[in-house]
Amino acid sequence: MAKQITFEFEGKNYTLEFTRKSIETMERQGFVIGDIVDKPMLTLPALFAGAFLAHHRFMKRKEIDAIYEKMTNKEELLQKLAEMYNEPLEALMEEPEEDEGNVEWGASW
Amino acid sequence: MGSELVEPAPQLSYTEQFYNCFPFYLSIGMTYDQYWNGDCLLVKYYREAFDIRKKRENESLWLQGAYIYDALCAVSPVLHAFAKTGTKPLPYLDKPYPLTKKESEDIEAAKRKADRQRARAMFEAWANSLNLPKKDGER
Repeated sequence: MAKQITFEFEGKNYTLEFTRKSIETMERQGFVIGDIVDKPMLTLPALFAGAFLAHHRFMKRKEIDAIYEKMTNKEELLQKLAEMYNEPLEALMEEPEEDEGNVEWGASW
Repeated sequence: MGSELVEPAPQLSYTEQFYNCFPFYLSIGMTYDQYWNGDCLLVKYYREAFDIRKKRENESLWLQGAYIYDALCAVSPVLHAFAKTGTKPLPYLDKPYPLTKKESEDIEAAKRKADRQRARAMFEAWANSLNLPKKDGER
């Protein structure tokens, strides 16, 4: 099951998810995930809005922005959204077969 | 030297990468809707299913090869250039190979039963040939 974010807003349930089609739509409209570092104030609300395309395609951007304003813990939310955004691409990448030559790695945090 | 680490590699957008992989997933049975609009992790399961299917096909081809080998072995006596006249080929397998443990056990049990019946028939034939005096009550 793909990663999803669910929440309730004004009595309505919402499910945020990225499909390949929603990412394609976002990129066609000019969204570039790499801009998240250079232009976070523009990119993050667009990323949030893009997550509505899979299950709430016809929601107006104004309504989505209103929800975004009310979202708490934005830092973690955006981290989760970025993970979700990468998932459709990561799923296409195959893990190398188990082999003695594979490189094991670790992170310090 | 080392400039390849500094010069940025041309980056494919996510969309381009999705389109690059799309034909492969179509070829292994995914539909357009499943790939583009469905659960994004579905591709992993399609890949696993594809691997299982490949393995099964490989086993099937291997099995076919084994049957062909057996058939060739069975006819090999008559294929011999200097075979004596009247040489006949060996009979081909009367049953397919057992594929499960139970099937194998069933075949073994049936073989044992047939052996027992043959031994009993031989013993009865031998006993009859002796013309032993019959006990009272026996015909």
